[in-house]
Amino acid sequence: MPGRWNREGDRSARETQILGWILVVPAMAAVSALILYPLVKGFQQSIQSGGILFGELPGYVGTRNYRDVLNDPTSRDAMRHTLEYVLLAVSLELVLGIFVAVTLHRVFRGRGFVLAVLILPWALPSVVSGVLWRRVFDPDNGLLNSVLLHLHIINQPHVWLASGRGAIVYITLVHVWGVLPLISLIFLAGLQSVPDEVYSASAVDGAGPWRQFRYITLPLLRPSMAIALTVGTLLAISIFDEIYVLNGTALNTRSILIQVYNTTFVEADFAHGTALAFVLAAVTAVLGGFYALALRRSTV
Amino acid sequence: MTTTLGMRVLKALAVTLIVVWSLAPIVLGVTTSLSTQREVNEGPSHWFPHHPTTQAYRALIGGTTGEHSGGTVTQRGEFVQSMWVSAELALLSASLTLVVATMAAYAFGRLRFRFGGFLLAVLVGTMVVPIFVVVIALFKLMANAHLIDTKKGLVLVFVATLTPLATWLLYTQVREMPAEPEEAALIDGCRRWQAFVRVVIPQMSSGIAAVAAILALSVWGEFLIPLLLTQTQNAKPVTVLITEYVGKYTTNYPILAAGGVLALIPPALLALALNKRITGMLAGS
Repeated sequence: MPGRWNREGDRSARETQILGWILVVPAMAAVSALILYPLVKGFQQSIQSGGILFGELPGYVGTRNYRDVLNDPTSRDAMRHTLEYVLLAVSLELVLGIFVAVTLHRVFRGRGFVLAVLILPWALPSVVSGVLWRRVFDPDNGLLNSVLLHLHIINQPHVWLASGRGAIVYITLVHVWGVLPLISLIFLAGLQSVPDEVYSASAVDGAGPWRQFRYITLPLLRPSMAIALTVGTLLAISIFDEIYVLNGTALNTRSILIQVYNTTFVEADFAHGTALAFVLAAVTAVLGGFYALALRRSTV
Repeated sequence: MTTTLGMRVLKALAVTLIVVWSLAPIVLGVTTSLSTQREVNEGPSHWFPHHPTTQAYRALIGGTTGEHSGGTVTQRGEFVQSMWVSAELALLSASLTLVVATMAAYAFGRLRFRFGGFLLAVLVGTMVVPIFVVVIALFKLMANAHLIDTKKGLVLVFVATLTPLATWLLYTQVREMPAEPEEAALIDGCRRWQAFVRVVIPQMSSGIAAVAAILALSVWGEFLIPLLLTQTQNAKPVTVLITEYVGKYTTNYPILAAGGVLALIPPALLALALNKRITGMLAGS
C-alpha cells in the first residue's frame, strides 16, 4: 500500500511541476519581453553616444552620459525640485493621513459615506485632479487670487505658478490631494490592529486623549508609518502628471521625470534622457530596498 | 472612554473638513463646467454660475466654433472617441492582466514547482522598476514593431506593467485562503487544474473583483505611457486629449472642466460601487 501511494504521489508531483510552469509562463513572458528586455536595451542606450543627430559617431561612451546629466545645471535643478516635492508631499501625507485615520477610526453615523467620499480623489486620474485645481491658481481669474484680493490680503493678482518655491507647494498640494486617501487607508488599517482595551485601560489610568495619542496611537502606528513613507516617497519621486497639467515643462517646477521627458522627447536626446531616467530608477530601487529592510525590522 | 461635548464638536468639525477637502475640487469642477467663460472671469461672486448652461459640454462634444473658444480648440466627436478608447483600454488591459495574474498567483501560492520561488522574486522585483524607464526603452522597440499609436500596443504595455502588482495582490490572497476546499476536491479525484478552475477561482472571486477595479482605475488614469506612445486620435485616451485643452496663454475653463467632469464619472462610479472591496484590498497591501 505505501508503494502505490508513492507512485501516485510521483505522478501528481510531476503534474504539479508541469501545471506550475504552464500557469506562470504568460506572466513571465509578458514581464520579460516588455519590462526586463527593454530595461537592458535602455541601459545599453544610456552608455552609447547620442548618434549622428548630435554630430557624433555612434558607439560606446561609458559613463559619459551619466556624468553629463549629473553635472547639467537644469538636471540638478530638477533633482533639487524633486527632493522638495518628496519632502513636502511625504510630510504632509503623514500628518494629514494620521489626522484622517484617527478621525475616521471610531464608528459613527455616516462613516460609510465619508469613507466612500474619501477614496474619490485617489480614484480620479491625476490629470483630472490637475484640471480641477487649475482654476484655483489661475493668475487672471483664479479663485485663490479672487479670495485674497477680496480679503485685501494682496493688492495685485499673484502669478502663483510662476514663482519658484510657491509653485512647487501648490503642485504638491494637488499631488497630496490624490495620494492622501491611500495613505489614510494604510493608517486606518494600522489603527484597526490596536485593540480597544488598550484605550479603555489607559483611560482608567487617567490618560487623556492627547496622552493616549502620544503614547499609544503613535508608537503602535510605526509599522504603518514605514509603509506610508515608502508609498508616499515612491509616488512623489516620480511626480509628472500634476506638473505637466498645471505648469507644463516650465523650468521653475521641473521634476526629474519632467526633465527626462523634455530631454528624451522634446530634445530627442535619448542617450542623456535614458541616463537620467536610470539615475532616478537607481535612487528609487535603493529607497525601495532600504524601506523593505526597515519594514521587515519593524514588523518582526 | 468619556467623550465630552468639546471632543464631539471637534470630531464633527474634522469629519466635515475631510468631506469638504475631498469633494470641493470636484464640486468646483462641476460648477465651472456649467459656467460661461465670462462668468468665470467675474470672480468669487460667480463661483456658482448665476445662469447655468451646458454650453461648455456642447462645445466639448460638438466642437468649438472658433471665436468663443478662448484658447481652447476642440474637434467634433474627438472627446467621445477618446472616452471610448479609455474604456476599451481599461477593459481589455484589466481582463487580460487578471487572467495572466490569477494563473500565476495560484501557481506561486499553491503549487510547488522548480524555480517557483525564484520566478516569484523576479516578478515581484520588477515592481521596483519605475515604469517610465521601461517606456523610454520601449518606445524604439515599439516603433520598430509598428505598435506606436495603436490600442494593441498600449494594452500590451499595460498588461506587462500591471501584472507584477496584480499577481502580488492575488498571491497574498491565495496564501490567506483556506486550502481545505481544494484538498477535498483533489481527494474526490479532481485533477489539479480542475480544482483550480472549479474550486479556487470561485473562492478568489471577491479578491479578483477588487483587483479588477484597481487595474481598471489605474489604466483609466494612466497618462505618461499613452502620452509617449500615442500620436493621433487613433489610440489617444481621454487623459491625454484633455491636456491638449489647456491653452498656451489662456484656457477656456468651462470646456476644460467639462472634460474633467466627464472623465471622472466612470472612475468615480466604479470606486463608489466597489468602495468596500477596494479599501479592504488597498489597506491590506
